[in-house]
Amino acid sequence: MVLEVTAKDAEGNELFKNEKKWFEIGIDPDKDMRYGAWQIKEIIDLTLPPLATQKEQYLIHFDTDTDEVRIDAKLYYYINGSKRELVHDVSKTLSFF
Amino acid sequence: MRKYKNTWLLLCSSLFWVVSYPIAGQCTPEATTIDELVEKYDSQKCGGCHEEIYQEWQNSWHAKAVNSSLGGIRNFIEVGLKKEWNTPLTKNEVLKCLDCHAPIVNFASEELARDIGRLIVTAKDFPTTPTGTEALKELAKLNVGCYACHNIKATGVAPGLRGRPQEGVMYGPTGEDGDDFHTSVETVDLKTSAFCMQCHGVYHAPDGETIQCNTLSGSYRHGYLAAGGSKTCQECHSAKGHMFPGGHDLDTVKQGLGFNVQIAKYKHLPGQITSVKDANKWVPSAIVTAFIENRAGHRIPDG
Ligand code: HEC
Ligand code: HEC
Ligand code: HEC
Ligand code: HEC
Repeated sequence: MVLEVTAKDAEGNELFKNEKKWFEIGIDPDKDMRYGAWQIKEIIDLTLPPLATQKEQYLIHFDTDTDEVRIDAKLYYYINGSKRELVHDVSKTLSFF
Repeated sequence: MRKYKNTWLLLCSSLFWVVSYPIAGQCTPEATTIDELVEKYDSQKCGGCHEEIYQEWQNSWHAKAVNSSLGGIRNFIEVGLKKEWNTPLTKNEVLKCLDCHAPIVNFASEELARDIGRLIVTAKDFPTTPTGTEALKELAKLNVGCYACHNIKATGVAPGLRGRPQEGVMYGPTGEDGDDFHTSVETVDLKTSAFCMQCHGVYHAPDGETIQCNTLSGSYRHGYLAAGGSKTCQECHSAKGHMFPGGHDLDTVKQGLGFNVQIAKYKHLPGQITSVKDANKWVPSAIVTAFIENRAGHRIPDG
């Protein structure tokens, strides 16, 4: 799962981008990362725990000649390595005139 | 309706004890072809009377639990067994994946179980050849079918108390018999999370090997229940009946994730942010705060 936060100017140029990922890493007894169900003996848990709310916060500065910025926050769910679905998104345009 | 223990069947299974695979505890000899295996436990038979449930199940991932995981199982056979463990392909090894991905393989003969393993390799490695497509077609018959949940795994969480599943009997929430086709045994076990956790968690093979295909039940138990959650898997996953939707279903995923985002602006004092063009000007700035809530019964994502 990925939270993607971007800021773009009125022309669509990207001014800021950050991705926060939640995932699991499987490791074997030598602590090497593995994918095979028979190889994995432990996991490193970097996921979002149940009944918990996590807060991600960003302070973003733009250049002094910036008039308008569109902020997008998108939450994607990866059903496997390559296929992702947009689960939620929120956006807001800020003007600095 | 029948109660749990039945002397007739117990007698029967003890007679056949020597020849039958222990987990099965059933009277019939092991199947030697996929068709023989499937013929006995075919979900299509159930579809004649349980039409709606059959349709839902057909659209579920349970119905394609082998072919949707082909690459991983192929790697276990070709890389894990062959190269890393230097171990021959046997029924016991194949069951380290298929006891969950296709529980009826428990009723296959040693030779058939190996054949199924070889079919998996062929289907994955040569998908476009005639033998490959034929293998895929055969393997599509193997899955988590009606019989897997309503018989093979039905008493699996409490075999001491419930006894082994009896052949041809359906275990369900009401105990209502299925016309002339099957008797039923009422079991509340199917409504418990422990029932689902037989397959949705770390697996301990009879020889002690641990298989970590998915680890969700650990998180359910030690994350969700420990934090005060009390719903069962079935309570959250039955919105579309026997489809048991999860991560592949956007509606379910949406319900499981709260998303609250606050976006605010201000102008930062001039002179403090050094990278800007004009150090004398106020700096346009934004604060983005996102709260992501896990409303599922386990970690997100899993595996
Ligand atoms: C304890 C039962 C169990 C065992 C044993 C098991 N699996 Fe699985 N496997 C599952 C379940 C349940 C899922 C689907 C749910 C999930 O992904 O959380 C799954 C999914 C998969 C997937 C698809 C994963 C994906 O991301 O789409 C692969 C590949 C797989 N298993 C490979 C294997 C291999 C290889 C073995 C044997 C070495 C194995 N499994 C043994 C229960 C099991
Ligand atoms: C993954 C396990 C699983 C599979 C596969 C499965 N079932 Fe079920 N089934 C359940 C569970 C769990 C319940 C009980 C749900 C409850 O009451 O909470 C149930 C309930 C039922 C019931 C009685 C209640 C109702 O919903 O009407 C019938 C009939 C039934 N299943 C038939 C079938 C048939 C037919 C198939 C195959 C097409 C099938 N099941 C496949 C787990 C499964
Ligand atoms: C000849 C029709 C018929 C066939 C074929 C049939 N059933 Fe049933 N089944 C019924 C009827 C009727 C009931 C009782 C009422 C109901 O739930 O619909 C029932 C009930 C059930 C129940 C609920 C029992 C309980 O204790 O709650 C399950 C589970 C079940 N069937 C599974 C299956 C499975 C799995 C198959 C295929 C192997 C199958 N049935 C084949 C007619 C049939
Ligand atoms: C409080 C409700 C709730 C409970 C309890 C619950 N789940 Fe889930 N489950 C969800 C939601 C919502 C999702 C979708 C979000 C996600 O993919 O994690 C989900 C996803 C899943 C997935 C797909 C995971 C993936 O990453 O592909 C599986 C498999 C699953 N659940 C199985 C179970 C099992 C087994 C249990 C019981 C041990 C269970 N769930 C208990 C709500 C719940």
